[in-house]
Amino acid sequence: MTAADTAEYRIAHLRDRLASEDIAELGVRIEQRGTGVALYGTVSSSACREEIMRLAEEELGGLPLHADLVVVRSDAPEHPEELT
Amino acid sequence: MIRVAAVGDIHLGPDGAGTLRPAFETLPDCADLLLLAGDLTRHGTVEEAEVVAGEVAGLDVPVVAVLGNHDYQSDQEAAVAAALERAGVTVLEKDGVTLQVGGVRVGVAGTKGFGGGFAGRSGGEFGEPEMKEFIRYTRRCADGLRGALEMLAEAGCAVRIALTHYSPVPDTLAGEPLEIYPFLGSYLLAEAVDAAGADLAVHGHAHMGAEHGMTSEGVRVRNVAQPVLGRAFAVYHLPVHAAESDGQAADGDRASVAGRPAGVR
Repeated sequence: MTAADTAEYRIAHLRDRLASEDIAELGVRIEQRGTGVALYGTVSSSACREEIMRLAEEELGGLPLHADLVVVRSDAPEHPEELT
Repeated sequence: MIRVAAVGDIHLGPDGAGTLRPAFETLPDCADLLLLAGDLTRHGTVEEAEVVAGEVAGLDVPVVAVLGNHDYQSDQEAAVAAALERAGVTVLEKDGVTLQVGGVRVGVAGTKGFGGGFAGRSGGEFGEPEMKEFIRYTRRCADGLRGALEMLAEAGCAVRIALTHYSPVPDTLAGEPLEIYPFLGSYLLAEAVDAAGADLAVHGHAHMGAEHGMTSEGVRVRNVAQPVLGRAFAVYHLPVHAAESDGQAADGDRASVAGRPAGVR
């Protein structure tokens, strides 16, 4: 099997690690895109984002990684929603 | 009008202490109560629950919560709930609570809920014991939610809110992969809400989902997972209708239905 063939298993292993290790992050989408892997979603902190990328580089070494991980905002809302 | 603030999936750990407190301190100006829709911690430890407690302790609005799957991860869910209760949070599981808000009796019914999927694409009580128990557990959660909503109606609540972690409808999962919908919610929760009636259903769990949805009977559903909201919480203004009956419950009372027979449905 080539690296591309096994990418889906390596992505599954990365998901397992994100769920089971200290980071406990289940909210990130990880998908094969062309010859690389896209990681996207909203995470709780910049430290969390860095840890996800560290684990991704460990598990998916050799595959191009395209990350779009946004740190969640903690501002109060500016407007309510009126439910009439 | 009742002002309901809500957020879920805040996933706090020791490194998150203080991140939400500044926004929560604005609550008395914009909301009458705060609902927390589960996944309050990362691993479900007491240490993490105490961080959550610190974010909401002493706020001038009542705080009502359900736990989420992350809050069960360390098999310490009872201790997690106790840590939140010590900070004044009412933690619901198959029960409800009444609150007095400016002369209006407001009821919140809550359960974590569970998965199974949505009508036409759902798991059933068939086959292996593990599969049957999966769906039976969800059904027990839904029965508890329905029973609590019914008790809140009997208690004369003019406004009733269903609070869950898992989703009652697929609408608010839009953006999540279709393949994982059965792990994100169950139609049994929506059926319970529609059977008992509610003014609003609030849930979390689906980080990539959408905020707005509705049950088959027209109950508005809101996914308040913090990654969906993109802010510390959302605020919903609910109109007040006349109470359906003159209940005798004292506000703050818990309306537990945990011991009800499953035949409530």
